[in-house]
Amino acid sequence: MATPEKEKELIAALQDAVIHYKVADAKKIAEEAVKAGADAYTMTMEGLAGGMETVSEKFDNHEYFVPETLLCAKALYSALDVLKPHIKTAEGQAKGQVVLGVMQGDVHDLGKNLIKAIFESAGWTVHDLGRDVPIQKFVEEQLRTDSDIVMLSAMMTTSMVGMKKLIPMIKEKNPKVQIMIGGAPISEKTVEEYGADSTADNAPNALREAMEMLEQLRKGMPTG
Amino acid sequence: MAQKDEMNSLQRVAAALTYQEPDRVPAAPLVCGASHRVAGITYREWSMGENVEAMVQGHVDSLELIGHDGVVALVDLSVEAADFGQEVIFPEFDTAHPNYDNPMIKNPKEDYKKICKIDPKKSKRMKSVIDMVAGLSKQIGQTHAIVGFVYGSLGTLSMIRGPENFFMDLMEYPDEVMGALEIMDEVLLEYAKAQLEAGAHSVCYDNLYASQSILSKELWEKFESKGMNQICETIKKSGALVSHHNCGNGIYFDMLQKWGCPHAISHAYVADDVDSWEEHKKKWGGQIATIGWMPPGPVAMLGTPEEIEEEAKAEIEIGKPGKGYIFATGCEYPPNAPLAHAKWMVDAAKKYGVY
Repeated sequence: MATPEKEKELIAALQDAVIHYKVADAKKIAEEAVKAGADAYTMTMEGLAGGMETVSEKFDNHEYFVPETLLCAKALYSALDVLKPHIKTAEGQAKGQVVLGVMQGDVHDLGKNLIKAIFESAGWTVHDLGRDVPIQKFVEEQLRTDSDIVMLSAMMTTSMVGMKKLIPMIKEKNPKVQIMIGGAPISEKTVEEYGADSTADNAPNALREAMEMLEQLRKGMPTG
Repeated sequence: MAQKDEMNSLQRVAAALTYQEPDRVPAAPLVCGASHRVAGITYREWSMGENVEAMVQGHVDSLELIGHDGVVALVDLSVEAADFGQEVIFPEFDTAHPNYDNPMIKNPKEDYKKICKIDPKKSKRMKSVIDMVAGLSKQIGQTHAIVGFVYGSLGTLSMIRGPENFFMDLMEYPDEVMGALEIMDEVLLEYAKAQLEAGAHSVCYDNLYASQSILSKELWEKFESKGMNQICETIKKSGALVSHHNCGNGIYFDMLQKWGCPHAISHAYVADDVDSWEEHKKKWGGQIATIGWMPPGPVAMLGTPEEIEEEAKAEIEIGKPGKGYIFATGCEYPPNAPLAHAKWMVDAAKKYGVY
């Protein structure tokens, strides 16, 4: 069992490794944390997610761009791979679940991958279907996982149009599910026209939006 | 009330890009891939470029149908990458793209060396674009603007490596990336020259990554500025107009001005140092002509006639004063959008764009 001081030190080191995209260091610190008996969940949430929060701020402020953010995500995953097996199930219960994928006919998955990294670092379970995903697959995955949110990405108008067919298919099977769409051709107008629930112009904003959606969903749930 | 045109399309575009007063704002909805539908061939056939005659006729007939003022010789962004050796998938009804499950550059340490010098005139896809420009020049070169197209070296190389890995390579393997870019820049220079020789009045250099959407200003300048500069200087020295395309958000206009000698930039969003189109016009409008900026998906494709006219009117009101403006979509006209919508754009330019 690591002392509180040691845990604090490890958290700061993990944050630093993620923020400054030190991939090898992140892995080493995670291994050290496991060896020292530090709580893996705390290391993940306060160290890795804490670091990624700063990365999101830097991205918002145009201090970091896509290459830097991708390298931060790489550092995060190198540590997460070490810590994940040590997280106790109850602690590691996800904040929310999303199904995520790029529409059929579209291979642009950069935005989708950034979203995945940001969501996973914030404790969400992400069911990543990849790119060029047949529309029926989104419906099946949402039902299989009972995910709260389905996130659809398209970079081209030719793939975007598939959303118009897909969104009612998802809503028909589960009217409560929230649908967020994103990508270059998407706007508020597309959200309205296709019956989605929201959009976001970058990964940190998508996370903020998803947190709000989840809160609303949970408020709407019967209590007791 | 729309007035009768007094200039032909070529005169109109040339006037707009050189800050003279055209009879009206030129309209260029960037109808590129959409012309395959007019040509009566599939998108796959169009992209493969094996029937240049049909492609030329498709563009010429689209001009007749829609009435826009010029043709941009963009087929799709995988043209250059394909000729460098990247496997490309050609869907029947969709845009061609690299097979990202099989990138040519898999190992960043070794594979950037695979980029070799090629001759665009002896290549497959770049050659078909050169031939298309020549065909267009023959048919409409005296009346309409013909704009050649080069996808910049950073964009092209990212298609050969896969964008995600490529962006990380810029920071982890800068020397390997730079070596490949230098060779690529030489080839793209020859490609631009060949399009000029074929009759292009301008060549458009697509520098997508020179925006806040993707790279920092410093990183972009480090990797693409020198190669782009050589190409743009060559275009300018030939007497043709230099145009750029960038549909990213927060475009580095200062960098493009420094390295790209631009007459015009086709763009969907404003420069990184301003916050609105009005501010953009005030700061950059007198220096670099704007080609833009109707949103292709939400408005040009999904808009009603009223919405398209309303957006066109609002954009023209900002863009028209002080000249240096072509009304266009901010990026390629959606290849699957109704062609009537492009005609509505042209109609709006005629109605609201008279000087």
